[in-house]
Amino acid sequence: MSAESDVLVKVQNLTKYFPIHKGILTQRHVGDVKAVDDVSFEIFRGETLGLVGETGCGKTTVGRTILRLYEPTSGHVFFEGSDLMSLNESGMRSFRKRMQMIFQDPYASLNPRMTVGSIIAAPLDVHGVPDGKGKNERIEELLDMVGLNPEFVNRYPHEFSGGQRQRIGIARALAVNPDLIICDEPISSLDVSIQAQVVNLLEDLQQQLGLTYLFIAHDLSMVRHISDRMAVMYLGKIMELADRNEIYLRPLHPYTQALMSAVPVPDPDVVENRHRVILEGDLPSPSNPPVGCNFNTRCPFVKDICLQEEPQYVELQPGHWVACHFADQNL
Amino acid sequence: MEQPLLEINDLRVTFHTDDGTVHAVNGVSYSIDKGEVLGVVGESGCGKSVHALSIMRLIPIPPGKIEGGEVLFYGKDLLKLSLDDLRHVRGGQIAMVFQDPMTSLNPAYTVGYQIIEALTLHKRLDQNQARERSAELLSLVGIPEAKRRLDDYPHQFSGGMRQRAMIAMALSCEPSLLIADEPTTALDVTIQAQIVDLVKRLQSNYGMAVMWITHDLGVVAELAHKINVMYAGYIVERGHARDIFKRTRHPYTLGLLGSLPRLDEAPGTRLLSIPGLPPDLVDLPKGCPFVARCNYITDICLESMPPLESAGDNDHLVACWHWSAIAEGVAK
Repeated sequence: MSAESDVLVKVQNLTKYFPIHKGILTQRHVGDVKAVDDVSFEIFRGETLGLVGETGCGKTTVGRTILRLYEPTSGHVFFEGSDLMSLNESGMRSFRKRMQMIFQDPYASLNPRMTVGSIIAAPLDVHGVPDGKGKNERIEELLDMVGLNPEFVNRYPHEFSGGQRQRIGIARALAVNPDLIICDEPISSLDVSIQAQVVNLLEDLQQQLGLTYLFIAHDLSMVRHISDRMAVMYLGKIMELADRNEIYLRPLHPYTQALMSAVPVPDPDVVENRHRVILEGDLPSPSNPPVGCNFNTRCPFVKDICLQEEPQYVELQPGHWVACHFADQNL
Repeated sequence: MEQPLLEINDLRVTFHTDDGTVHAVNGVSYSIDKGEVLGVVGESGCGKSVHALSIMRLIPIPPGKIEGGEVLFYGKDLLKLSLDDLRHVRGGQIAMVFQDPMTSLNPAYTVGYQIIEALTLHKRLDQNQARERSAELLSLVGIPEAKRRLDDYPHQFSGGMRQRAMIAMALSCEPSLLIADEPTTALDVTIQAQIVDLVKRLQSNYGMAVMWITHDLGVVAELAHKINVMYAGYIVERGHARDIFKRTRHPYTLGLLGSLPRLDEAPGTRLLSIPGLPPDLVDLPKGCPFVARCNYITDICLESMPPLESAGDNDHLVACWHWSAIAEGVAK
C-alpha cells in the first residue's frame, strides 16, 4: 500500500499555534499554545489511520486543521497531490465535499431545531446531490445505510438516543460521497454496547463505500481495533506511527509502552501477569512544553540528551516511525 | 458468620416525572464484607449510581422516592436513621468520590479548607491539627509539596490532582466504606492507572471496603474482588471477578464483554455488539428487561422476570432463565 499513488492525504510539517493574548486594550501577544507542532504523516486510500493520545495532545486540532476548519500556522496538507493550504475559499469548497467529519458529541453537533431530513440535506444543498438522484430519495437511502428507519426524516434530534444521533451524524457525513471521513472521538460519549454498534457500522460502510478514515480517539484498544495503522500523539507531536500489530507487539517509544500498559484489560488473567508502567505526573502545558524531548518530564528512561535535544521523528524500520533518542535500543 | 459491613435488602427506588414513574432500582439485594472491593458495572441508566446514592439517602426527594427495602450498615438501617445520625455516617463512616472532580469541589474555597472542614466536623480536630492532617493526606495521595498546595484553589489543580484531592477528602475520616462513582471516567488512561493504583494501595493498607461503580469492565478487572452487573435497575449477575469474566452466565454480561475490543485481539476480529437499546424505565417489559436485545429468548422470558439464583458454586448468582444453556455455550 505504500506506493506514492495510494497516498490520499499527505500532511507535511503541519503546525498550529493558538496565540495567548494578555491585557484588555493592548492585547499583547505573550505566548502560544503549541497544539500541533511540526506533524507529518500520510493517509493511504482505503485505510483507517488511528490517531490516539490523551486530552490536550492536539489530536483533534490535527483533524480540524486538515479540513482547514483551523488555519494552520505553517505546513502543508496535500489531498491527492493538491496543496489545500494554497487554495482560496471556492477552491477549498470543491475539496470539502470529498472530506467530511463526524464529531464527538452527538448532542452538540446536530441542530436541535432542524429535522433529521434537513440536517442531512444541508450538505446536499451546498454541494449538490451526487449521482443525479432526487434529494429525498438520497436522504432515505442514507438513513437506511446507517441503520435508521427512513420514516424518521421528519423527527427532531431530541427524539433519538445518543447512538442513533451518532448515526445521523454519519449519514450527514456520507451524504456527498466523500473519500475521507475524519472521525473525531465518534464513540467516546456512547455506552459500551452502543459503541460496538457504531464501530461495526463504520467498518461496514468502509467496506461498502471504500472510505478512508482518520479515526481520532483516546481509547487505545478501540483505535487498535478499527485501525490499519496507528499514530500516537503527545503534546502536539507524533511520538510513534506504525502498523497496528507492529505498534502493539514492538512499541519503540516509552510513551507508547506506558500507554499500552495503562489500558485496562477485561481479563483477570492478563491483569495478573502483565507488567505495568505507571507514569508519574501530569501532561505538561502545551503553552510551555519542556526543552528537549516533550516526554522528558514523565519518561522513566530519561537521560541527559533528552533534556537538551529534541529527538528526530525518523522511519526506523520500514513503515515504523518514532521520535525517541533511544528507540533503536528497543529494536 | 461475621456480619457483613453493608447489607442491602430489596432496595427499590423510583422517580416521579411528568412522563410517568421511572423505576430506577427494582429490588436490589447484596452485601459487602469488610475490606472487600465490589465492582458495580452497567451502562447509563441501569441504576448503578442511583442505588449508591440511595444508600446514604442522597437522591433528591421528591422527585425521587425510596419505595422500600433496607440498607443495613453495621446492622443499622440507614433508611430509618434520623438526619442527625445519618450525618455522622455520611463522610464519616461511608465516604463518596464522584465522577467529575471539578463539579464536586467548591471552586470558591481552597482545597485545604474543604479537607479541613470534614476533619473538624467529623474528627473534632482543631484548626492546626486539621491542617497538619490535611497536608499528610494530600501527600499520601501523591500530591507533591502538599503543604503549599493546601492553599490552592481547585482550578489550580489538574483533573488527576483534583480526583486525588477528592480521595484525600474521602479518606480523611478513615471510612470503613468508600463509594467511588465513576471516579476515573473523566480522566486519561495514564492518570486512571495512577488513581486505580492509589486506591488499591490505600484499600489494602487500611482494610477499607470499596464500592467502585463504572461502565468499564476493564477497570473492574484490575481491582474488584466481586462484581455486580446491573441492567435496568436489576442485578442480573453477581459473583467473584474471575467467575464473571471466565464463567459468564448472563447474556447481557456476555454482550458487554463482546462489545469491548481487546488490545491483544487478532486482526479482523468483529465486535459482538448488543443490538437495540436499553428499555424505557417508565415502561419496563413484563418479563425479563433484557428480552428485546437477547439471543436466548423463549416464551418464559416474555412472561416473567427470572429470579437472581445460584449458578452453581462460588456465590455466583444470575438472573436468567437460560443460564445453564449459556454455561454450555461459554464452555465451548
